Amino acid sequence: MRGIDYVLKRIGFAVVTIFVAVTINFVLFRLAPGSAVTNLSRVPHATQQLRHALEVQFGLDKSKGAQYLIYLKQLAHGNLGISFENQQPVSTNLRVALINTLPMVTLGTLFSILIGTLTGVIAAWRRGTPTEALTVSSALGFYAMPTQWLGLMLIIVFAGVLPTGGMTNEFLLNPGFWQHLRDLASHIFLPSLTLGLTLYGEYTLIVRSAMLETLGEDYVLTARAKGLKPWTIVRKHALRNAMLPITTLVALSLGYIVAGAILIEIVFSWPGIGRAVYEAVLERDYPMLQGAFLLLTIAVVLCNLIADLLYFKLDPRITE
Amino acid sequence: MTNIAPLIEAPAEPASTRRGFLLRTLRNRPAAVVGAVILVVVVLVAVLAPWIAPYGLHTQTGTVFGHPSWKHPFGLDDGGIDMVTLLMWGARVSLVVGFAATFVSMAIGGAIGVVAGYFGGWVDTLLMRITDYFLVVPDVPLMIVVAAIWGPSLFHIIIVIGILLWTSTARVIRAQVKSVRERVYVKRTRALGAGHTRIVLRHVLPQVAPLLIANTVLTIAVAIFDETALSFLGLGDPSTTSLGKVIENAFQRAAISSGAWWAIVWPGVLVTLIILGCSLLGGALEDALNPRLRVAHLSARTFRLRPLVGRGDEAV
Amino acid sequence: MTAPILQVEDLHVWFGLADGGELHAVQGVGLSLEPGERLGLVGESGCGKTTTALAIMGLLPPSASVAGRVMVDGEDILAGGEAAIRPHRWVDIAIVFQGAMNALNPVRTIGEQIVESLELHDRARGTVARARTAELLEAVGIPAGRAARYPHELSGGMRQRAAIAMALSCNPRVLIADEPTTALDVMVQAQILELLDALCRDFGLALVLVTHDLPVVAQLCDRCAVMYAGEIVERAPLDLLYHSPGHPYSRMLFAASPDLAGLDEPVLSIPGAPPRLDRPIEGCPFRPRCDSAFAACVERPSLQEVAADHAAACHLNDRVPA
Repeated sequence: MRGIDYVLKRIGFAVVTIFVAVTINFVLFRLAPGSAVTNLSRVPHATQQLRHALEVQFGLDKSKGAQYLIYLKQLAHGNLGISFENQQPVSTNLRVALINTLPMVTLGTLFSILIGTLTGVIAAWRRGTPTEALTVSSALGFYAMPTQWLGLMLIIVFAGVLPTGGMTNEFLLNPGFWQHLRDLASHIFLPSLTLGLTLYGEYTLIVRSAMLETLGEDYVLTARAKGLKPWTIVRKHALRNAMLPITTLVALSLGYIVAGAILIEIVFSWPGIGRAVYEAVLERDYPMLQGAFLLLTIAVVLCNLIADLLYFKLDPRITE
Repeated sequence: MTNIAPLIEAPAEPASTRRGFLLRTLRNRPAAVVGAVILVVVVLVAVLAPWIAPYGLHTQTGTVFGHPSWKHPFGLDDGGIDMVTLLMWGARVSLVVGFAATFVSMAIGGAIGVVAGYFGGWVDTLLMRITDYFLVVPDVPLMIVVAAIWGPSLFHIIIVIGILLWTSTARVIRAQVKSVRERVYVKRTRALGAGHTRIVLRHVLPQVAPLLIANTVLTIAVAIFDETALSFLGLGDPSTTSLGKVIENAFQRAAISSGAWWAIVWPGVLVTLIILGCSLLGGALEDALNPRLRVAHLSARTFRLRPLVGRGDEAV
Repeated sequence: MTAPILQVEDLHVWFGLADGGELHAVQGVGLSLEPGERLGLVGESGCGKTTTALAIMGLLPPSASVAGRVMVDGEDILAGGEAAIRPHRWVDIAIVFQGAMNALNPVRTIGEQIVESLELHDRARGTVARARTAELLEAVGIPAGRAARYPHELSGGMRQRAAIAMALSCNPRVLIADEPTTALDVMVQAQILELLDALCRDFGLALVLVTHDLPVVAQLCDRCAVMYAGEIVERAPLDLLYHSPGHPYSRMLFAASPDLAGLDEPVLSIPGAPPRLDRPIEGCPFRPRCDSAFAACVERPSLQEVAADHAAACHLNDRVPA
């Protein structure tokens, strides 16, 4: 199989990065000053048995080195500790939150990639015209807006038309399937739109840049010389090549997506991972914070790995 | 190949000549001018805030969420404080954090980039590996965690942001340093026995400076964006009021449901303008340093036809 | 004399510059090509020969303006703009570029790219197209199995052959080769030239060979047009050009080519640089570098007949008034 060692190298890199992130996580939380942080067993209102169980589980009486190894072992079992806030396992809380976040983030990201690609291609195609200036200006404009502020602006605009908080309407009792779906849709619309608008600007600029680069390549001139129609060339030759840098750069913007998700969930009271992070910060719920951070990091590393492999699949020139 | 670009691009002065580089960019690119103007105006207002602010920063001059009026064009915030005043002082804080954090990240990123690019070999590989890890770890969650543990203070915020923004700078500078290092005059200087420090300071740094400047401006945009986000999460310094904090305060005090849109709209517009200004200026500078000597072979427009000239010869 | 397939009359090309000015890259070029004829278009880089080649096929960028006539079988294809030119591309005139890495699309196999031209111009589809592709590749000396390879997997010489195969896929009558051997090493150069020679002969192609390399022209072409500063300064059959050049520039070009200068002659280089084309040129454009300039040269010379089928733009050829 072509380039199997490349694939293995990328997977190896991802594994090492996750490992590094886990270690950073441990170092940050265990070695930070203040026993409230270092002591995972100091769950407020917990029973004595629970505290003791946690102490044993995480080896809180042993040396830091031993604690680290125990921490890794617990991680392997999916044990992230108990949330200070609701005395539930952190992993359970995170799982619920993640399920809530994914649809919203996926919708928003898809929207931004689609619109960003479309506007980027148009801007490159209509180089030097007012269309390009307009497209680029709006892209820059939305890119410059703080995500949370954009969300608030949308709330101001759509107040009364669309719900501006929460994932569902709690007062809707026993909704039918379609009712429930419509309810969800109306709630997911604004948060996804905010994420989409926040992200698309950067993609427009990236796609435009990649397309301009591609349109200056010699094979585009060859394609033109062959008698291909301009739009065909864009579709079959230029875009296909431009996908390469686009994939890489989309991967690099994943951190931005995570940041955006956090801010948006706060603004719209969306019960997802972002809001979990926020509330963990407010309540100083350190196990939750630690768990959420780890989860987010792993997610980003995995997405980067997928992007790497995708790039590899798209570019036949990579063989090593 | 059929590179007719050199025919078309009038002989350009090498962009690496520092003198006049900034001015030339401004002259040639309207985007840069717009960005620069925005920044200059905002910085001036922020610097002069203590003298030109119409009211006191902590003086309540009206009701909570007072409406915009002639005396208060942007209305009042949740504490009855004049918004214009708040915006001026807020810009001050936001800019300070932005510049300071950027300075930290430029120092780190620049140093790492120069060292990695100049020495190459295992030093380079090691530094780049470290950079790669930093690149992948999502920065905002990390900032949140560190700020949450460390405690909110202006200094902490600046350091936290600075420590996470250096990666792109390091990469860009490293690439530039590598290409400078390969230039003949550097090799000659080395052959003459010049020490590394001297070469770096006198030959490498001046060539790298314009790119560093462009990168700095762009980083300021990100730093301010990050600070706004951190303030929104309540991790900003409670004793100072950045623009992000103004938005956060308004949000916490339910400005929207009170109908006090001005408490949110104007600070956000200002932040957006600052970030936009930095992006425009920084982007234009960066573009100027990487002249796209390519001609687009394809575009919606095509070449134009002109009437026959009749000066040349007929085919024989 | 048969009717020329390709006729270029009074071709001018201007490029808009960033500062608002214009570069007059091609200044009144005229060419004529008969079926099966081989014309060399020679000059230093920047003299406008590539631009001329591109202009013939309408492949100029949007910043360009064009004037003049390009006639294929007597029909002016330039007059109708892009839409009028496109039907003629590849089926009447095809072009091969310098074999740099990216002249072929790097993410598609060479077979796919040749099939694309066949299908685009309705020469073949599907399996038939693939079979035809194999034939074309064999004709240029590439084993048919290589059709499934990507451009970067082939050597420079192979890539160039593939490009030639692709150019011939729709049986054009004119082939323009723009610096076809410049990026290749000497051994491969010779092979490609031999290939071009054989193909043009076998398929009855007319050839326009654009190059700065005189020995290449000498090997392959019957006639040669020398370009300088955007215009043709001399046009003649190759041996006439060598033995009795009508323009100092042609003479100096030959003297500067070690292979052609003769073993005893020192190789001369031509001092100085070509004039800027973003300003109007006063007098003869070659005057600053010419070793035979004299009083009349303050006036720009025009291309005049010097002998049968031999024209040059130089005052040295002016008839002395009787």
